[in-house]
This record gives sequence, C-alpha cells and structure tokens, in this order.
Amino acid sequence: MTLTSSTIGTAASGRTSALVTIGVGALALAAILAAPWLAKPFTITLLTEAFVLAIWAMSLNLLSGHAGLLSFGHAAGFGLGGYAAGYFAREVSADVILSLLFAEAVVFIVAALAGAVAIRLSGVAFSIVSLCIAQVLYQVAIAWRAVTEGMDGLLGVPLPRLFGATIKNGAPFYILVSVVMMATLAGLALVLKSPFGATLRAIRTNDIRAASIGIDVRLHKWLAFVISWMLAGLAGGLMVFLKAGTTPMSLHWSESGNVLIMTIFGGLGTIVGPVLGAVCFVFLHDVLTSTLAIWQFVFGLIFVVVVIAFPSGLAGLPAQFGKLRWRFSR
Amino acid sequence: MAHELNFLFVNIVNGLVYGSFLLLTSLGLSLVFGLGRVVNFAHGAFYALGGYVLISVMRVGAGFWLALAVVPVVLTGIGLALEAGLIRRLRKRPEVDTLLATFGLSAMLVGGIEYLWGTSTTIVKPPLGFEGIVQVLSNDFPIYRFAAAGLSLLMAAGVLAIVQWTPLGLRIRAIADDAEMAEAIGVDRSRLLWQVFGYAAGLAGFAGALGAPIFAVHPEMGLSILIDSFLVVVLGGLGSLKGSTIGAAVVSVTKAVGGAYLADWSTALLFLIVASVLVARPTGIFATGRIA
Repeated sequence: MTLTSSTIGTAASGRTSALVTIGVGALALAAILAAPWLAKPFTITLLTEAFVLAIWAMSLNLLSGHAGLLSFGHAAGFGLGGYAAGYFAREVSADVILSLLFAEAVVFIVAALAGAVAIRLSGVAFSIVSLCIAQVLYQVAIAWRAVTEGMDGLLGVPLPRLFGATIKNGAPFYILVSVVMMATLAGLALVLKSPFGATLRAIRTNDIRAASIGIDVRLHKWLAFVISWMLAGLAGGLMVFLKAGTTPMSLHWSESGNVLIMTIFGGLGTIVGPVLGAVCFVFLHDVLTSTLAIWQFVFGLIFVVVVIAFPSGLAGLPAQFGKLRWRFSR
Repeated sequence: MAHELNFLFVNIVNGLVYGSFLLLTSLGLSLVFGLGRVVNFAHGAFYALGGYVLISVMRVGAGFWLALAVVPVVLTGIGLALEAGLIRRLRKRPEVDTLLATFGLSAMLVGGIEYLWGTSTTIVKPPLGFEGIVQVLSNDFPIYRFAAAGLSLLMAAGVLAIVQWTPLGLRIRAIADDAEMAEAIGVDRSRLLWQVFGYAAGLAGFAGALGAPIFAVHPEMGLSILIDSFLVVVLGGLGSLKGSTIGAAVVSVTKAVGGAYLADWSTALLFLIVASVLVARPTGIFATGRIA
C-alpha cells in the first residue's frame, strides 16, 4: 500500500520536479553569466574561486559520493594538476587549452598508476592510502626543487591566453571558469544518470553483489578514480591561473579536508550539492576569517554538525525535511 | 667509516626516542579502533592539548612532575565527555563517518587551542635534575630525552600489561574478539568503549606533556604525530597492539634514518612503504581477520 502510493507520488512529482529543475537551472545560469555586470569586482573574484573549487568538489563527489570510495587525499589530483599546468604555462606556453591538456596528461598518468593500487582497498583503508598518496606528492613537491622550487612554490605563472588573446583576471576569467564549471556539472549529471552512474551506485551499495551480477568492480572503481583525479586536475589547473602560482600547500592534507567539507556540507552523493558547498565555503570563509579569530573552530563545528545531523548535506535538506513531514503527517 | 656509523647511531637513537612517544599515541588509537571501530582523527589534538594543559598547570605554580600527573586526569575527563556527547552518536554509522566527525572535532580542538593559548611555539624547560647531558659513545644526548623515553616505554608496557592481565583488559579483549558474544555474557560494551576512549585521550595527553621539553609545544604539534600514528597502526594492523609496537619502531627508525640520508624524500619513502604493505595485506601485518 505504502509502496504504491509512494510510487505514484514519485511519478507525479517526477514531471514537476523536472520542470522545477529546468526552471531553477535556467535562472541560475542567467544569474551566473550576468554576475559581472551586477556584482562588485571582489565578489566576482570570490565567485571565480568558488566555481573552481566547485569543480574540485564535484570530482570528489563522483569518487566518494557516488562510487563510495571516501578519499582523504583529494588534494593530490588538484595540486598535481596545478603544478603541471603552472609549469607548462610558465616554461612553454600560456595557452590555457594547451596548459590544461598537458596537466590532464600528467594527472592521467599518475592517477592511472595510483588508482590501480588504491582501488584494491575500500573503507577506511582506502581513505588512509589515498591520504598516503597525497602526502607522497606533497613531499615530492617540497623535495624536487629543480621543477617545483620547493617550499617557495611555483610563482610567476603568466595570465592565461585563449586563441592568442590574453584573458584578464576579473570578469573574463570568471566567464571562462563559469563555463567550464557548468559544463562539468552538466557532463557529470549526464554521466551519473547513465548506466555508468547506476553501476557506480550499485558498487557503492554492495560491491560483492555488484560483482556477482557480472559488473567488473575494479574496472569501474578505477575509472571513477581516474576521472575524479582528472576533474580535480582541471580545477587545480584553473586555480594556478587564478592565483598566478601554486605552493606545496595545495597538496597538503588540510586541503583534502577543505574539499571534503565543501562536498559533505553541500551533499555527498547529490549532483548540485558540491557546487552549493563550494560557494558557501568560500563566502563563509571570507566572512568568518575577517570577523572571527576562530575560523578553524567554526569550520570544525560545521563539519561535526553536518556529519552527525545532516549526512546528506544542503542539497539533501529538502528530502530530509520532506521525510520528516511525511513521518509526522502519518 | 667510523664517523658514518656514528651518524647512523645518533639518528637511530633519536628515532627510537620519538618512537617511544609514537607508541603511546598509537596504542590509544589502536585500542579505540579495535573496540569501537572509531577512527579517531582527533587523537593528535589530545596530544597537543596535553602539552598545553601542562603549561597552564605549571603557570599556576605547580612543578613539572605534578603537572605531568595532572595532564592525563584532565585529558581523560575531556575524552570521556567527548565520547558521551559526540562519538557515541556514531556507533551505528559506517567507520568512515567516525573519521569525518573526528576530523571536524580535531579542527575544533586545534582552533580552540589557538584561541585560548595563541599560535606561537612554547618551549618547556626540562625538570630540575634532568637538564644535563649524557655521553653515549662520545655523543652528547640530553638526559631528559632518555628519561622521558624510558617513562613512556614504561607506560606503554603498563598499557599492554593491563590489557593482558587485568579484569578490565579481559573485557577489552573479549569485546575486540567477539563483541556480540561478550555482550551476551554480560560485558557492558557501551560503558567499556566510553572508558577506553577516555583512557586513550589521557594517554595521548600524557605523551604530549612528557614530550613537551623535547619537541616544544605548538597548536599543530598533534597533526604530524597523528599522521605517523595512523601509519603505525595501519602498518601493524588496526586493533593489534603487538602490531602497533613493532609499527612504532619501524616508522620512527625509518623516519630518522631516512631523514638523515634522504632529507625531504624520506617521508615520501615511508608513505610508499605503508601504501605497499596495505595493498599486499589490507588488514595490516599483524591483524587477525576478526580484529581489523
């Protein structure tokens, strides 16, 4: 009985929710692209950073939310992509497409190898090995001075160029980042609705049963790992242009913690959650660090409250409250 | 040649001193996981809090040894309160949720430390009678270093003895071995997890306070020893105390000797070793299937 009524409910609300999604999406798209004419330059800088971080958070969400492999070292792909793109832009060509392609090639090679090792594990063991991998890269960034310039970091990365024209900081770079971010969001939404996405969720739910119905679990975990790292590398490459450089701190495990909180706060396993999480993170960070000396305390408190009380994050709030209302109305 | 051997010797000795502290933090981490499946990322923050509580108690006028005795009491209290207020809510959740929640808790504690005590590094003088230098094979070592290492090894031996030979230890082993069966014959699992979490926090705080005259006190001091303790515990097998003991020696000596010859590359080497061990044996070297 319950089953039938809820099924009908979903079918009816399915069409409405699709319309709502399209409407909200179109509004958000317009607002994002109109922002440079509406908002202050400083807000645009913050938004640019938030959207770069959103790409990174979406990449973590693919691996940890959908494939169920909780990475505690997701700074790895981000920092590596940043170093590769920054090095190429400085030493070879500042063309943004070439730099990002070079970064993706480097990230692919490292992720293919690291992934082949890491996906043999699951649960907490995977979390700790992913932390180990990121720390190895962090140490390499410090020790390999000839390329990375050690603790000083890779500085003086030029402004990006696209088809021969320099992309200035501010509105032009913001538009570029917004387009890449929305393309990533749309691409991931399609991928996650595809059989590939369903397969990942099957593995997350129960990898032994998934294997028993003929899914190649290791292959799919590896693919999720590599795609996730490459998206993180894309974000890292954009970040290096935004900041005109990078340091080993981009690979530090505290950065892995930052991207985790963005993703979890926004909603692990949802689609738009990581974008909401990244935007909230950047603006909260900006407000709190300028008014409060205890940003780290507040950061930790939010983390604890979300994990304990709202495990599905911001994007999961409507569903969580919906369930509550449903429970009360019975 | 003799000079090189001596260089190696000094590094191994310093590594083992660090290893004795690492052992104290790792034992607590391992016990808490073995019993309650809690991956406690806040363990390093307890270590740091130990150093700061020591400083505050000494400022009030207490001597070093009295302050050192007060620290584990305070930290056990903090650990008990946090378990009852927070960690307990995660009992029915997957292990990774405990990792996430304690990660947040760690940020809260470190942020709190920075707010209360500031971000600067505080140097703690060794206690009276331990300021001198001792010569071993014509190398100078501060006496306190050996005294502290000896005391922490004694504490670690005490922990192992309690687990092996006391009624409390019997219950701990019973829960770690087969929680349902132990509960069926009357062991109060919930209460035991609460106690052990508190004692582990006390032990970590004690290590932080005891190490203060050697490693100095600063807000982030717990983070590096936490990462090392994780390496120790996964290397030895989460939940295996024997594994933690051997793991602490392996990690600390690798770090010290590697650091002497490979400089910044040594930590990368250590992480590679741990990652390869985990891939070959996902439960760690010594864990029996049931405990980890």
